[in-house]
Amino acid sequence: MARRAFRHGRRRRPLGARLVSAALAVVWALTAAFPVYYMIITSLKTQAGFFNAPLWLPPKRPTLANYHRVIFSEGITHDFLNSVVVTCAAVVIALVLSMLAAYVIVRIERRWVRWTLNLFLLGLAVPIQAVIIPVFALVNVLNIYDTLWALILPSAGFAMPITVLILANFFRDIPRSLFEAMGLEGAGHLAILRRLVVPLALPALASIGIYDAVNVWNNFLFPLVLTQSQGVQVLPTALYQFQGQFGIEVPPLMAAVVLSAAPLLALYAIARRSFLRALAGGFA
Amino acid sequence: MVKRLDAQTTVMAALPLAFYLLFVIVPLGVAVALSFQTWNGLGPATWAGLSQWRKLFADPVVWTALGTTLRLMVYAWLIQTPVSLALGVFLAGREPYRDLLAILFFLPLLFSAVAIGLTWIYILDPSFGVLTAVAQQLHLHAPSWLGQRWVLVTLAVVISWEFIPFHTLLYQAAAQQIPAELYEAAELDGAGLLGRFRTITLPQLRYTFVTSSLLILVGSLTYFDLILVMTQGGPGYRSTVLSIYMYNEAFAKLHMGYGSAIAVLLAVLGVLLSLALLRVSGFTRMRSQLEGG
Amino acid sequence: MRRHLLLLAAALLAGVALAQQPKTIDVWAIIQNSTDQTLPNMVKDFNAMHSDMQAKLTQYQNDPYKQKLIVAMGANQGPDVFFGWGGGTLKEYVDAGKVYDLTSALNADPQWKSRYPASVLAGATFDGKIYAVPINNVQPVFFYYNKQLFDKYGVNVPTTWDDLMAAVKTFNDNGIAPIALGGASKWPDLMWEEYLVDRVGGPGAFDAAASGKAGAWSSDAFIKANTMIQDLVKANGFQNGFESTTQDSNAPAALLYTGRAAMELMGSWEYGTIDNAASDFVSNGNLGVFAFPAVTGGSGDPKDIAGNLANYYSITSFAKNKDVAVQFLKDEALSDSQVIAQLKVGQVPAAAGISDLINQYGSAPDFQNFVNGLVSDAPNFQLSWDQALSPAMGQELLRNLDLLFTQQITPQQFSQNMDQAAASQ
Repeated sequence: MARRAFRHGRRRRPLGARLVSAALAVVWALTAAFPVYYMIITSLKTQAGFFNAPLWLPPKRPTLANYHRVIFSEGITHDFLNSVVVTCAAVVIALVLSMLAAYVIVRIERRWVRWTLNLFLLGLAVPIQAVIIPVFALVNVLNIYDTLWALILPSAGFAMPITVLILANFFRDIPRSLFEAMGLEGAGHLAILRRLVVPLALPALASIGIYDAVNVWNNFLFPLVLTQSQGVQVLPTALYQFQGQFGIEVPPLMAAVVLSAAPLLALYAIARRSFLRALAGGFA
Repeated sequence: MVKRLDAQTTVMAALPLAFYLLFVIVPLGVAVALSFQTWNGLGPATWAGLSQWRKLFADPVVWTALGTTLRLMVYAWLIQTPVSLALGVFLAGREPYRDLLAILFFLPLLFSAVAIGLTWIYILDPSFGVLTAVAQQLHLHAPSWLGQRWVLVTLAVVISWEFIPFHTLLYQAAAQQIPAELYEAAELDGAGLLGRFRTITLPQLRYTFVTSSLLILVGSLTYFDLILVMTQGGPGYRSTVLSIYMYNEAFAKLHMGYGSAIAVLLAVLGVLLSLALLRVSGFTRMRSQLEGG
Repeated sequence: MRRHLLLLAAALLAGVALAQQPKTIDVWAIIQNSTDQTLPNMVKDFNAMHSDMQAKLTQYQNDPYKQKLIVAMGANQGPDVFFGWGGGTLKEYVDAGKVYDLTSALNADPQWKSRYPASVLAGATFDGKIYAVPINNVQPVFFYYNKQLFDKYGVNVPTTWDDLMAAVKTFNDNGIAPIALGGASKWPDLMWEEYLVDRVGGPGAFDAAASGKAGAWSSDAFIKANTMIQDLVKANGFQNGFESTTQDSNAPAALLYTGRAAMELMGSWEYGTIDNAASDFVSNGNLGVFAFPAVTGGSGDPKDIAGNLANYYSITSFAKNKDVAVQFLKDEALSDSQVIAQLKVGQVPAAAGISDLINQYGSAPDFQNFVNGLVSDAPNFQLSWDQALSPAMGQELLRNLDLLFTQQITPQQFSQNMDQAAASQ
């Protein structure tokens, strides 16, 4: 996005227009921020404070008791770790397999290779709701029901279409001459991939990796259907279970919600622009 | 480009392909196959011919759910598109405080649908929700947001809250790519602010408009997570969209064959919708934007 | 030679170790409010008593539990002991051959059997055979009310339906929700239906419907009761947004003890919920109770009650360690120590001879005597309809009740729908 010259004109825009657009922008900023504000202040309240004091104000005496409870008594750390394991494993698998596929698609000129690209594109149009029942059956057949693998493998599979697409687009831009040079040195395809392509593609890998990671981290349908024991709970299903368990005890529930988004909040704080670029996937 | 496969590339192709076929493509076929069977998820599946499909077309709840899904799609699109467009164009501009506001704009992206749903339930709760409390302070009557009358609109608003930042990113990126020369030329021709927006900005954003609309409409066709967490499809069937109905039939009542039929219906509708949108928008015949046509 | 000896020794040790592995049973139940530790206590106590037998408890939320049980029963792969409510749901499992017959085990040990009142065992008896034993309290349904709010607005405890409607108006005029209802969960609606139909038409009205008699759901009792329900809804008897308030969230109880609602119609377990969440409210004497009011001109006895007889534990027919399961029930189901523990948390266990024990061990004798009195004075104790009917009819009933309470159907349509559903069973 080198061209930052976007503007409606060289002259200053009329005051009226600027005020209106400012007002609308502020309205949206408040709308976007208010639930997050509510989440945070509520997580710091006691139950009595939640019932008796105004709900839109922060607590007079904030407390970390809810976080303490959720972390130490309710075991959210275990769910957190499960989420980390599932996300990392699924993303690694998806990236590796997609790299291999993208490489072949870009480098091998045969008709059926072009067809595989279409096959991956088809996957983009497939909503996971449409195939969740067969995936449930598959997971039972493979005897991995109610294990973390039941989450890792299908998540990796469904991350592949967009990953292959992005990587293939990126690989296509690598000049042919570089490939030929390595080929002349006698390097095989795997070596080319490892020594040439991957280092060049690191930004794209990071970007699509983050996009995939966020999707796997937040996925709800897979853990809802493919697991049931507490031992393999991930954060989205843990939150859902907390809702049933805490009921009207909203402060600890909000503490759990904040914790579930903690890594993404951290990423956002550290590297907002790159993070946002990554989140737009291949669409921006 | 290499014309031939060798041992290495065969493996490099076969490995991802096999994995992908197993977990994504084969299930697609199995979903269709299951829609012709009766299965409770535990025992063996028995052949059912067209009975699941006949049941589907005769089931009044399916038609209600379809209507609910369509209404939700329309509401979601009507809310998200103008707001994302306006915000995206705003962010692409040079207003000084733009960066500051941008930090807040994108907060919703950080939360899962479950987290968002849970937070909003307690914002909207008729007894303990903060919105209800605020309304009471202002001596206004707060409607029952998740009650039968407003639930679908409320869900559309929350879904929009979740996704407007994403679509804003799309429009922002596209708006930033519009060359300044076009605006300068239009200004020289005497076009006012709105005129420039209408004749330059909007046409240049057409590609993004189609992509974004496609994502909104097809996405809300299968939207599930937020609705399950917030209303479970209730009250009654008021917010039961097709994906919720499919989930209840397949995983709560264990009618997996029937659930598969609903799932296939969902997939078919998604594909048809995508194709129709692409055709109608003239996407396939799109002229190059760069020519400023 | 040495090697053979070593192997032999290893095998012997392994054999001994294996033989000493305790036999375990899986127990499934719902999550209850945390003052009631009956379920975990039963397991803890049993495990401490026996080194060669162990029980493991898994608890689920109410609705997911019912689903999981259906799945497990269907697959013959589930718990050894499961929690239930007796009535039609248990009967379905019995008819499908999934439940172990406890009759002979009970008859062989008269001391064990005598712990349970005949009326409570009746809820788990089909064709003369007993399929479950009670494990906790009698659970009649009655009104809880906020005494402070009643005093503040000069409302007396209603004894008739007209009194109740007048109280509704008074509270509405003063900006207080008259009655807290968890309508989204649907089964709280049922309590209103059960009582009103009984008050108007006596137990016979529901009995006819439950037995599948044609047109039974269209009797005058149902039409009148449902009309009264809709009158209550139209008079804003329930809090704003009741149709999206769930019972499981304990929001209705919260409305009561935070002074936003004046009354709640709920089962005896709600006492524990309120005490647990707001013990000050209870200890300051602000929580009151009263029985469902009489309906002037109705043919039902105003002393009739509705609710759950108790909760039960049953043994599955596919349980691998049935002897352990039976021992578990014998040792723990309403044993003396469990009874006393329950009395100490304000429950009224469904055990024989309970009246004497309340004053001795009860932690809330006023409340417990009230509950006990309700149950022992009641000419008829109606089991919750969604448990008394078959699961399919129960679902239809809840669906139609929801439509009735949200004013989407008329009482006539309700009766029509239910008769149609009954005919197609």
